[in-house]
Amino acid sequence: MSLPNPLALIAEVTHRCPLHCVYCSNPLQMTAASAELSTEDWLRVFQEARSLGVLHLHLTGGEPLARADLQSLVEGAHVAGLYINLITSGIGLAEARLSDLINAGLDHIQLSFQDSRAEPANWIAGAKAHAHKIALSETIRRFRIAFTVNLVVHRQNLDHIEEMIAFTESLKPDRLEIAHAQYYGWALKNRDTLMPTRPQLENCMRVVEAAQRRLAGQMKIDCVVPDYYARYPKACMGGWGQRLLLIAPSGKVLPCHAAEVIPGMTFANVRENSLEWIWKQSPAFEKFRGEEWMPEPCRSCDRRTEDFGGCRCQAFLLTGDATATDPVCTLASTHHLVESAQQMTEPGAAVNWSYRPNPS
Amino acid sequence: MPGPLSSSQPRLATGCRWGNEGEERVVLFPEGMIRVQGTGQTILELCDGQRTLEDIVGELAVRFNKADAAKIREDVGSFLESLQQKRVVDY
Repeated sequence: MSLPNPLALIAEVTHRCPLHCVYCSNPLQMTAASAELSTEDWLRVFQEARSLGVLHLHLTGGEPLARADLQSLVEGAHVAGLYINLITSGIGLAEARLSDLINAGLDHIQLSFQDSRAEPANWIAGAKAHAHKIALSETIRRFRIAFTVNLVVHRQNLDHIEEMIAFTESLKPDRLEIAHAQYYGWALKNRDTLMPTRPQLENCMRVVEAAQRRLAGQMKIDCVVPDYYARYPKACMGGWGQRLLLIAPSGKVLPCHAAEVIPGMTFANVRENSLEWIWKQSPAFEKFRGEEWMPEPCRSCDRRTEDFGGCRCQAFLLTGDATATDPVCTLASTHHLVESAQQMTEPGAAVNWSYRPNPS
Repeated sequence: MPGPLSSSQPRLATGCRWGNEGEERVVLFPEGMIRVQGTGQTILELCDGQRTLEDIVGELAVRFNKADAAKIREDVGSFLESLQQKRVVDY
């Protein structure tokens, strides 16, 4: 089978962030500002990415606005011909900078919210950010740019999902992405206080379906069942080295957000290698391509071409073996690990969580 | 939101634009892209925010000379309505 070209590049341009969200999926080991890729490196990489076939660039972090050169990055990506999405907390953005970024070629802005209510939102973020985000939403709507609100949901806010959707409606975005916390990095550390209960999840799906019908054509709502509660694992990144690539602030190129947790792997860096070589030939991208590496029950499973055995990083994080079937799968011999994580959720238990710090 | 009127002037929604994937034309939007080929591509290329739905149906009737205009109107209307719900088209 011939190797497809990547369709999207997730560029984590920094790990610096003014928020400290407890559900952050950034790695526990973060890159310091002094070790981040330079503007020139990023601009070269954007050109290489487009030549390789990449269509979408997702600028994320950390908080991409923490980079003083963000406007140059957007300009360079636009010149390269990429569709540019800014994934942001909005902290560090006011009308003038927003206008500059849009003029530089920004296509879409995705603004995160932690809750509909100020107090819990600021508690989850570990920072007073909520009021600014509301004000910024009004500013964004004065410009001609596609606008998505991203709402991260978990046990601490799912009980008022209906209120959160109504709140988002008042911000008038084109889209609402309801993202269940994914258990990597800081979110995994805080999993016992974030994991929703099954009744919360069932209620959420009912509420979302009703809202999707009511708001059709006005605000598009995306929401998927979080993988710990799904029957089968997610098709992580569309398959290892199949559709997406991620560049960390240090310049390392990863097939999946959390790939650096897998021991014994070396990830090539755009400072030393071309993106084309990394995508097509680097050992890390080859490692879990195709089906050779698959264990049973994946190897003989009809779904292997749909979900690729799930997430390699999650398999490692939960079982200690990156070649195992993702334990989220109900067919995995290790599925009890996911079931017991669900049972750790005691509504009303005291919350004692770790905030994501800033890289030193 | 109901389907387009004959006087509607459909266009790609803000944040949606044409791009190329190899030789293919695609519509890029925030969460991804749609490969549009054949009639779908022809319709979307006519959605320039200037032509009305009536104009578009008229042009398509000329291009596909034996098709009946009422049927084209119905097909194009539901095609655009489904893309409007994805927030890819506005009218």
